[in-house]
Amino acid sequence: MSGSEVLSTLLGSEIRGDLLVLFHKNPGLIDTADGVARRIGRATVTVISDLRELLQLGILKQKRIGNSDVVFLDRAKDRDLLESVANHLKTVRISGEK
Amino acid sequence: MRIRDSSSTNPHGDFGSVPRSTDPDRRFAAEKAFSSVLVSTVREAVGNALGHNVLEILTAKGLLDDASNSKEFDRKLQSIFGNGAAVLERIVVKDLNRKLGIPYNSEARLDYEKSLETAKEVCFVESKLK
Repeated sequence: MSGSEVLSTLLGSEIRGDLLVLFHKNPGLIDTADGVARRIGRATVTVISDLRELLQLGILKQKRIGNSDVVFLDRAKDRDLLESVANHLKTVRISGEK
Repeated sequence: MRIRDSSSTNPHGDFGSVPRSTDPDRRFAAEKAFSSVLVSTVREAVGNALGHNVLEILTAKGLLDDASNSKEFDRKLQSIFGNGAAVLERIVVKDLNRKLGIPYNSEARLDYEKSLETAKEVCFVESKLK
């Protein structure tokens, strides 16, 4: 997946933006979908598809703890993906850029 | 403060507008203070969403030059992020409103320019109260 595609996926919705900020501010966070939704002030049903997108991208991982499925940030994958975004942005020209 | 009854479409509390014909020095100082809060909020928003490498690249490319000019900033964001620009603008407005104690409604349509105008007015009102 190209840096441009990664960027489009990461900023694909407002909820995805909120999830990115939540996990980047709290890189050790491990929580259920319900808990994550509550932390960003949303109903669980509204965050499920965005969580799925981020899981599919690999920036989030899922595992089972006891009876609960929890999600957490895959820090190594996060670093790789953001590096590909950074490399893509190096080649992008901002309108008006000298 | 004059409270305006309005059905605003931007996702913030409607604080109404304050008269602009007040002390120009104070206004200038408040605008400078607002600009500083805004730039730091934009830096935090981009850094928290996309990481510090991305932030540094965008800073070097001039994204934050004149960030308090909302039209110019919006144009730059659009040219880099396309549809993703709106997501970053929401993160900025949400953070800015939280810092200034302005209610934020995530359900409402975002008018970035109007949101910044409201935040600027709140900054100005606060500077008058100090």
